[in-house]
Amino acid sequence: MDKKNTMISKKIAQFRGWIQGLATLLTNIHLPNFFKGKIYQGNGKKICVPGLNCYSCPAASGACPIGAFQAVVGSSHFKFAYYITGFFILLGVTLGRFICGFLCPFGWFQDLLHKIPTKKFSTEKLKTLRYLKYVILVVFVILLPMLMTNSIGMGNPFFCKYICPQGVLEGAIPLSLGNAAIRSALGKLFTFKSVILVSVIVLSILFYRPFCKWICPLGAIYSLFNKVSLLGIQVEHDKCVGCQQCTKACKMDVNVLKTPNHPECIRCGACMKVCPKNAIHYQFMGKNVSKDKNKLKEK
Amino acid sequence: MNLSKKIFKIVTLSAVLALTACSTKTNSAVSNTTQSSSSSETAGETDPALNDLYQQENQLFADHKEAWDKAFNMMNKGNADPSADYAEYLASAVEGNKDEFTEEEYKTLTEDLEKIREIEKKISELESKQSTSSASKDDSSSESSFADLSGVDFDGNKVDKSLFSKNAVTVLNFWFTGCKPCVEELPKLNELNEAIKAKGGEVVGINTDTFNGSGSAIKDAKKVLEQQGAKYRNLSIDSSCDVGQYASNIMAFPTTILVDRNGKIIGDPLLGGVDNQENYDALMKQIESVIASDSATK
Repeated sequence: MDKKNTMISKKIAQFRGWIQGLATLLTNIHLPNFFKGKIYQGNGKKICVPGLNCYSCPAASGACPIGAFQAVVGSSHFKFAYYITGFFILLGVTLGRFICGFLCPFGWFQDLLHKIPTKKFSTEKLKTLRYLKYVILVVFVILLPMLMTNSIGMGNPFFCKYICPQGVLEGAIPLSLGNAAIRSALGKLFTFKSVILVSVIVLSILFYRPFCKWICPLGAIYSLFNKVSLLGIQVEHDKCVGCQQCTKACKMDVNVLKTPNHPECIRCGACMKVCPKNAIHYQFMGKNVSKDKNKLKEK
Repeated sequence: MNLSKKIFKIVTLSAVLALTACSTKTNSAVSNTTQSSSSSETAGETDPALNDLYQQENQLFADHKEAWDKAFNMMNKGNADPSADYAEYLASAVEGNKDEFTEEEYKTLTEDLEKIREIEKKISELESKQSTSSASKDDSSSESSFADLSGVDFDGNKVDKSLFSKNAVTVLNFWFTGCKPCVEELPKLNELNEAIKAKGGEVVGINTDTFNGSGSAIKDAKKVLEQQGAKYRNLSIDSSCDVGQYASNIMAFPTTILVDRNGKIIGDPLLGGVDNQENYDALMKQIESVIASDSATK
């Protein structure tokens, strides 16, 4: 039965690219808006999408959770974003950073960039930079929008405004191409953020997912739930022969044997694919992802 | 693997191309907007109602051929402004050479001018309707004129399209209460309103939260206006009217546009706050030119 479970886990990992593509498409379903230079403003925008996906992407089906969070804490009406925090907890507890690996459009974008054949560099020695994303989360997503307010209590969405490269890629660039008025409004801030985007693109070619590892506040939130999330990764130590192939294969620099559900794990399944003993697989609520009846049979 | 590499290359290449093409595209977009008036004229030829109006006009010229030919001869090509109202253009030519005409000729000409004014009004209405209907199909920026406006101001007084006709230029500022840059430019907009009041201009705020007269939204907006010291008129309009439709197509707030006496949108919308002095000065310059051309046609 574990064999079947490992097979399913491997299949999921194998089709990851397609799942990412599909998730990106579903996250940005209003494709004709790219040509109209307009944003979809219907009811879908009242719901957050799981990944980092700009609200101002013309095709976006829903709102970006990080953007929505800042908009709410920065508004004069509300002190705290309960709905979005609840949304983070729900998704974090269910899937954890599986969202980064499978559902986030910006994660997919970096994965694709990394496929460009060049010399690749390891991020092993840059592990301290991982903590930067928590600083960005606390400072730019929570504190500054909450506290740096004008006379009537309105704050800026600091992360969206000054950092987020996804906003430039999905929002500013396509919108300004399709909308002359927006094009005319582009200024220094756009130039500044374009530099960030280009840097992230170049770094993504050389390193694996630098944005997810070091900058993304959404990844930072989901990472807090990785250890307790219902979906997890399990290593069967009785099968393991200690070859360390999994840890070598992990591009997020996780020691799979010691900490399979490390905060940095994006559940991409690279470790499952390389394990010669098929000892690593997904599990959900402590159960194997293959059907429960298998478990009954085992008993 | 190979396929995704290829796809990737295509995507990056097109992104690079799109970015470098940006500047040239700006130019073409600008020329598009300036051309829209002539293109709507050619489109109008196929419209029987418009055609009929042009016929009526030509009939007037034919009926009083002698007087009109005389007038046409006196016109100076250099004065021709294709964007200006045709009737006003004719009127200024007749008025300017008043002494050259006999009393009878002058009388027929002025009578005809009245009729031409009527006809031109209908023509521009039809044309604006056409351009708005075509605009809603493809691009909001080619929208050129407001056919109607309906709603109330924040004190409950009804407003309609005649709001525009009372001023040489109406500065329409689209905003919503939760928009920080919108709220922050309110004091400066008030300053602008004070500055242009005497010259025949007015700033009018349109708050998109208050569409269709939502009471609590109006209350919230009023509070913010008061806090920011903005005393000019603000409207709660019907989302279905022309101005409401225009507002629902706005992708970035605040957006400020200039509207002339006839409800025609002048120039390109300004995105961003006028609390940026550069924006304020540019807008002021545009406002002054609209006021100047308005008094020129009077």
